[in-house]
Amino acid sequence: MSTAAMTTTHSSAVAAEGAPLLEVRDIRKVFVDRDFQTPVLKGVNFTLQRGEMVAMLGPSGSGKSTLLSILGTLMRPTSGSFRMQGRELTALREAELSDFRNQQIGFIFQYHHLLPDFTALENVLFPHAGRLWRETRAGRERAAMLLERVGLRDRMNYRATRLSGGQKQRVAIARALMNQPALVLADEPTGNLDRENADQAFALMTEIQRETGTTFLLSTHDRELAERCERRIYIAGGVVVDQPQPAASVAAATSARPSMRVITGDVPAVIDHTGQSGDADRRRA
Amino acid sequence: MRFDLKVALRYLLSNRLQSALLIGGVAIAVTVFTFNAALINGLAEFQIDRVVGSSAHVTLEPAKPRPQLVPAADGAERLVVSQGANERRAQIKQWRTVESVIDTLPGVTGVSYNILGTGLVTRGELSLPVSLKGVEPARLAAIAPIDANIVEGEPRLGLNDVLIGRKLARDLGISVGQPIFLTSSQGRERSLTVRGLYATGVDSLDARLAYVNLDTARVLFDLPEGLTEIEIKLADIYAARAVARQLADSTGLEVTAWMDKNQRLREALEGQGSSGSIIKMFTLITIIVGVASALLLTTFRRRPEIGIMRSFGISQRFVLSVFMLQGALIGVIGSLVGCFLGWGFSTLLAGLGAESGRRLPVDPSLGQYDVALLLAAAASIAAALWPARAASRIDPVEAISQ
Repeated sequence: MSTAAMTTTHSSAVAAEGAPLLEVRDIRKVFVDRDFQTPVLKGVNFTLQRGEMVAMLGPSGSGKSTLLSILGTLMRPTSGSFRMQGRELTALREAELSDFRNQQIGFIFQYHHLLPDFTALENVLFPHAGRLWRETRAGRERAAMLLERVGLRDRMNYRATRLSGGQKQRVAIARALMNQPALVLADEPTGNLDRENADQAFALMTEIQRETGTTFLLSTHDRELAERCERRIYIAGGVVVDQPQPAASVAAATSARPSMRVITGDVPAVIDHTGQSGDADRRRA
Repeated sequence: MRFDLKVALRYLLSNRLQSALLIGGVAIAVTVFTFNAALINGLAEFQIDRVVGSSAHVTLEPAKPRPQLVPAADGAERLVVSQGANERRAQIKQWRTVESVIDTLPGVTGVSYNILGTGLVTRGELSLPVSLKGVEPARLAAIAPIDANIVEGEPRLGLNDVLIGRKLARDLGISVGQPIFLTSSQGRERSLTVRGLYATGVDSLDARLAYVNLDTARVLFDLPEGLTEIEIKLADIYAARAVARQLADSTGLEVTAWMDKNQRLREALEGQGSSGSIIKMFTLITIIVGVASALLLTTFRRRPEIGIMRSFGISQRFVLSVFMLQGALIGVIGSLVGCFLGWGFSTLLAGLGAESGRRLPVDPSLGQYDVALLLAAAASIAAALWPARAASRIDPVEAISQ
């Protein structure tokens, strides 16, 4: 399936479902260390539709990881709001957030972060069994199915430490999908892999996104991978900025200093909360 | 299997050396605890047995007369001089009634109805003071195992027989089958035959106490009906006070439990018990410090993993439970091993010197294994609480970025 065809199909699905999966409004984050205040996010606004695969680009220190941590409910914003599936997440208590995270959000990190004392199967099963406090047959079957899907059926009983880097990252992808989350947040998921493994891992995520309709938000410095996503969000200086054409824009965004804003042509400087502007829209048009 | 238990077990097994050291530490502490209990309690039992084993647990004596005062006239000042009623022999006259009361008591293993008095033993030119104890022949060994302590002759008490200590026999220069001449404090005289010599190991008894037939004692002390003492032995020596209270209420006699007659022994036992408790407390502190520090290190080492677990929505309660279970597993396994080692060590030491008769006063059955198991497990769980809480509160973002 071509990218255009996939986007069209996906867009239809999005249109049918209506409401966006994630709405981020004026999220701000200020880190306070004694007398020093460091504003990292200065009012982030954007929207993710269901089933999208969106790349988030920006220079180091622009606030991408902080934003992913906030969206993943691992960190609370200083102000602002974000709603996922119609639920205001800033209002939830810690235990509720933990439960929500378990069932609605999957994480893929740059470093696989597998639990070394557990097998590949147990690592994938962990989010499910940890929530229920027990292993179930259905859970084990799903974990095995996911490992098969990422091409590691024959390695499912291997300890995490016995797997190669690429294999570990594929286990991490399977683990992120274990509880059938609505959103997968990937922080530099291919940043620790060589080109071949990076391409394989990305292809795998793309295929799974197409098959399952799971929304992916990927933070990456890899321009090639970002170009293969349906849409890109650029962060610079703690805000979301719009970006024009792929190659040049990604290069500009990834090299931009935190204080820079990349504003091009007649597109809006800051993507509006519907997320309908940007090159995904232009592609649809 | 619960998944938190599986994770806790996996963590323990992943670092076997550390886990083995931790379990070993708890086991050694519990070994010390149980061996200490077996030794202190064994020593206490040994001392009690030495003191109480050959004496009564509850003693009934005649009630001391308490004279009533004649009411004084108004305004008169009363001056009272009190003096013991020497003119009347203190005795238990209605002892048959008391006997029927004692027969209804549970846990009584032996009763002896006695007449006590003093006298002089004369042999040739030599006269020695003695305490005389008149007992029913059938109840000779009801309180003290005199029959077992007979070293010469036989434990028989006919009307003209007397059993004396080996030391008294030596002092008098007589042996079994020879007569002695006895004069009671009432002035009655009687010639008796030494039927047996006993040796209790207590010099004061072996040199002073002589057993005679109860009927002989009646004649010697002019007590045709009454008794001067009733002794009771119980299956549970620690029930003595309760039994004494019950008998005092129902008979009106002076009733004393063994622990109230042996103040020094009680103080010595209490001192021993306190020393033992201090040692036990230190072993528990050792367990808590050891387990807490090791688990805290584990928590620190596993911070990134805990952060990852938290990132995929594993609850704080689950993380808390994993580390608490580790503490509990270390405590329970270590305690079981420690109890086994403590029992083995106590048994080994208790057996040593058995042949030579110089046995250590260790009683493996008094190791308080159930208490050790409970306390050590509780201490380990308590020790795990701090690290477990620290683990559950780890900031996932900070931990993952480590």
